[in-house]
Amino acid sequence: MVCIRKATINDLLAMQACNLFCLPESYQMKYYLLHILSWPQLLYVAEDYNGRIVGYVLTKMEEESDECHGHITSLAVLRTHRKLGLATKLMSAAQNAMEQVFAAEYVSLHVRKSNRAACNLYTGTLGYEIHDVEAKYYADGEDAYDMRKELKGKKVHGHSHGHGLGHHHHHHHHEGGCCSGEAAKPEKAEARKVERGNTKAEAIAV
Amino acid sequence: MKGLTLNCMDRKSEAYELVRIGLKNDLKSHVCWHVYGLLYRSDREYREAIKCYRNALRIDPDNIEILRDLSLLQAQMRDLTGFVETRQQLLTLKPNHRMNWIGFAVSHHLNSNALKAVEILEAYEGTLEDDYPPDNERCEHGEMLLYKISLLEECSLIERALEELHKKESRIVDKLDYKEQEVSLLVKLGHLEEGAELYRVLLSMNPDNYGYYQGLQKCLGLYAENGQYSPAEIERLDALYKSLAQKYNWSSAVKRIPLDFLQGDKFREAADNYIRPLLTKGVPSLFSDLSPLYDHPGKADILEQLILELEHSVWTTGRYPGREDKEPPSTLLWALFLLAQHYDRQGQYDVALSKIDEAIEHTPTVIDLYSAKSRVLKHAGDLPAAAALADEARCMDLADRYINSDCVKRMLQADQVPLADKTAVLFTKDGDQHNNLHDMQCMWYELASGESYFRQGDLGRALKRFLGVEKHYADITEDQFDFHSYCLRKMTLRAYVEMLKFQDRLHSHAYFHKAAVGAIRCYLKLYDTPLKSTSEEDDEMSKLPSSQKKKLRQKQRKAEARAKKEAEGKNEESNAGGVSKSGKRHVKPVDPDPHGEKLLQVEDPMLEATKYLKLLQKNSPESLETHLLSFEVNMRKQKILLAFQALKQLLRLNAEHPDSHRSLIKFFHKVASMPAPVTDSEKLIWSVLEAERPMISQLQNKSLVEANKNFLEKHQDSLMHRAAVAEMLYALEPDKKSEAIKLIEESTNNMVPKNGALGPVREWTLKDCITVSKLLATILGDPAAALRWKGRCAEYFPYSTYFEGKCSSAVPNSAYNQKGRAKHSEEQESADSIAVNGKLEAFKGLSVQS
Repeated sequence: MVCIRKATINDLLAMQACNLFCLPESYQMKYYLLHILSWPQLLYVAEDYNGRIVGYVLTKMEEESDECHGHITSLAVLRTHRKLGLATKLMSAAQNAMEQVFAAEYVSLHVRKSNRAACNLYTGTLGYEIHDVEAKYYADGEDAYDMRKELKGKKVHGHSHGHGLGHHHHHHHHEGGCCSGEAAKPEKAEARKVERGNTKAEAIAV
Repeated sequence: MKGLTLNCMDRKSEAYELVRIGLKNDLKSHVCWHVYGLLYRSDREYREAIKCYRNALRIDPDNIEILRDLSLLQAQMRDLTGFVETRQQLLTLKPNHRMNWIGFAVSHHLNSNALKAVEILEAYEGTLEDDYPPDNERCEHGEMLLYKISLLEECSLIERALEELHKKESRIVDKLDYKEQEVSLLVKLGHLEEGAELYRVLLSMNPDNYGYYQGLQKCLGLYAENGQYSPAEIERLDALYKSLAQKYNWSSAVKRIPLDFLQGDKFREAADNYIRPLLTKGVPSLFSDLSPLYDHPGKADILEQLILELEHSVWTTGRYPGREDKEPPSTLLWALFLLAQHYDRQGQYDVALSKIDEAIEHTPTVIDLYSAKSRVLKHAGDLPAAAALADEARCMDLADRYINSDCVKRMLQADQVPLADKTAVLFTKDGDQHNNLHDMQCMWYELASGESYFRQGDLGRALKRFLGVEKHYADITEDQFDFHSYCLRKMTLRAYVEMLKFQDRLHSHAYFHKAAVGAIRCYLKLYDTPLKSTSEEDDEMSKLPSSQKKKLRQKQRKAEARAKKEAEGKNEESNAGGVSKSGKRHVKPVDPDPHGEKLLQVEDPMLEATKYLKLLQKNSPESLETHLLSFEVNMRKQKILLAFQALKQLLRLNAEHPDSHRSLIKFFHKVASMPAPVTDSEKLIWSVLEAERPMISQLQNKSLVEANKNFLEKHQDSLMHRAAVAEMLYALEPDKKSEAIKLIEESTNNMVPKNGALGPVREWTLKDCITVSKLLATILGDPAAALRWKGRCAEYFPYSTYFEGKCSSAVPNSAYNQKGRAKHSEEQESADSIAVNGKLEAFKGLSVQS
């Protein structure tokens, strides 16, 4: 249904359009250029059967800090293309590349406290944990969760990175598009808590 | 003299002045020239800046800093031979810098000498120690190697590229790119078996990448560009995908791709298996996923039958045909949703609406249904109702920007700009929506808004939007500047070269094309109907009865006061200095011309239009629209030969297009009406046209009237062609106006055949009929005929507000309004006040469980 592939320079305008149509946080083209010209391995797009970009993940490496780690700058899936597991597939692809190419120790991201669907996706299906809360992170004054996920295969260069993107396929039905604002069903969030046994996740998965 | 540089921070003219004084005092100072160049550079005056740098270098030829600055400008301006020279000098001066080697290589690559670039990179590798690279440079070194290999591939040295790739395997960090590069080389060398094997490895890593499937098919000799396969090939493809599906059962690609090549019963079976689980799961994008199949002959009908059967079975038994398991209630909903979109695509809007209404009745809380209904209504021609529905959807989840944007789009299509602006502002941070949307380069919005203003005749605001988009493209071109040095340091050379290519064709992007077309249309209209002076406006006012006059004046005064207040508010805001958390934003200067009034004051609209026309001609030479606009502009400018050139392009691209025909007749009709040539240049133009005319096949041995008749005979059955002929008939022989109108009115709107019988849908499109309606009312100037046309089209398009069809929201007693759906009055301004179904308030703030 939807092709998941590495983004090229030619996708950037469509990625920007996708962002502007569905996310409140937007960036000028130069910021997209900076990403792809710094870490061309770390941008992925979801392209539908008509050749339209319906989702993307824009990520980067934080190279200044002590621990080399990746950071998710922006993740979007059009509302019309939810329930396909695209966000999971995009995130897995970017995380794999961070780990394989840049030997990232962990990956971090920020998410609006109120965005429950996204929070559930990150803490549930994707295995992120809340590391901190950043007060008034967003321009409109909302707080952000600073979430992190450890990456396993540290510092091993050059071995196969054939972790299939499909590993999460059995989770697909959990997921709402992160931009859809769609509330996850309580019983499913419940089930995930149990699976993960994570006390931090419980704090938000009301 | 150093103080000068500081000056350029904010006081530009003073800075220039000081530098010029400095130069007067010491023409031989390279510092002065360098600073002069930097000033120009900061003003984007790159050509001037290059000149200054060159003067500086004449005095101090080995100044590394100036050379580096010059090389950046040369890259930016694509002065490639100059770029190569400068990079060579830099390398000679500092051969121990990695960046200088890489820069020299890249300059040769850009200057179309990839082989030389390879040589330089290999010479650079020769300078490296054996234990290179250290851990922290492994990634960059690997990128350099992959760049070199891509250069070898570009030079068609495929075998050498593959050899090099294998030799350096351990040093190439990016294993995914390694494999993708390897498979590309293997296929080019004809090592198809190895290629197929590698594609299977890539698929196991990412079974959702369609490119890998295509690659695998090519390796197996099972790929056709046009998608046409023999029965034997289809059988092999079928077997291939069945085996792949077993391996990657979670991949949706392996299930979807076979729908493209399978035919008949096998297609039906595969489509059935594909659709069922997706309906059960409630995947909203299912129709858009299937929609490319509608271009394959016969498949739309199979899909229609299939979905109808599924719907019927679920509706009557709660199960899919032949299954024991009960479906959840939502399956019926999604089947109806799919059917509605199917009938919408087929142009059967009434059926589509009844299906979607059935779905809404089934579950009134699913937002997608309202968005879908909104789209059907838009297609059917009821734009206000479509906007109201989209707003209803928006109010069901106020936190979702997607449905907000969708709603704004519909409002703009319905020319409800103030309402659209108020709605869009809900998602922009500082409440100052235009500037924010503009700052964030939100081009879809600016284009849609500009188009709406254009339709409403507000050329100033329309131009403002279109030129705003044009500016984004200029800014993006500008954005590349910093990356000329950045990428050489970062070693992201493949991405860098791709970026330069992308920039070179940036203005061929669809959004730019739309913006340029929009701006040129504005200038054409401005030229045809110049601005009214204030006294003329007063004249018009004086014709109105006094009560109305008073009202109008009051309205104007109020609007002025409001605008003033708004502007003041903005001033305060920007004085406070909106620095965001990233600290990126500077103090925003107040836009001195928020409504584009100054844009209308141009002296020569055609001169302005020509600027954008040139960009279109350079970047969209295959678009009919480009040459149509060129024709229109040059006819107005009396540039006969340029207009003729445009005409020849139109005939080359599509001589049978009604607009090409119009241009042809208009052109030679105009030429015939011109006075005999007097000056030498006029005589030259005539001789060119005389030599060229016999080469135009449409006009060989024919008068224009005959050519027009000929065109009619060729395209008897097409409404738009008949309209073009009628318009030209009237232009050539104004006394034949009634004949021209008859020509249009005698056109017949036939049913489109379906499966050898007559189908349920007629040929004519709403858009074409509206065009014809405007032609009758304006150019042919016959209100009675226009009224007859309207009545006729209201029958064909019952939902059209333009023709006031009986089901449209434009008609007070229409079916639409009787259902109590959105009553739209012109004055309605607040986005919140639209009550639909009387239920709207109840939806707000509800989180939807779906």
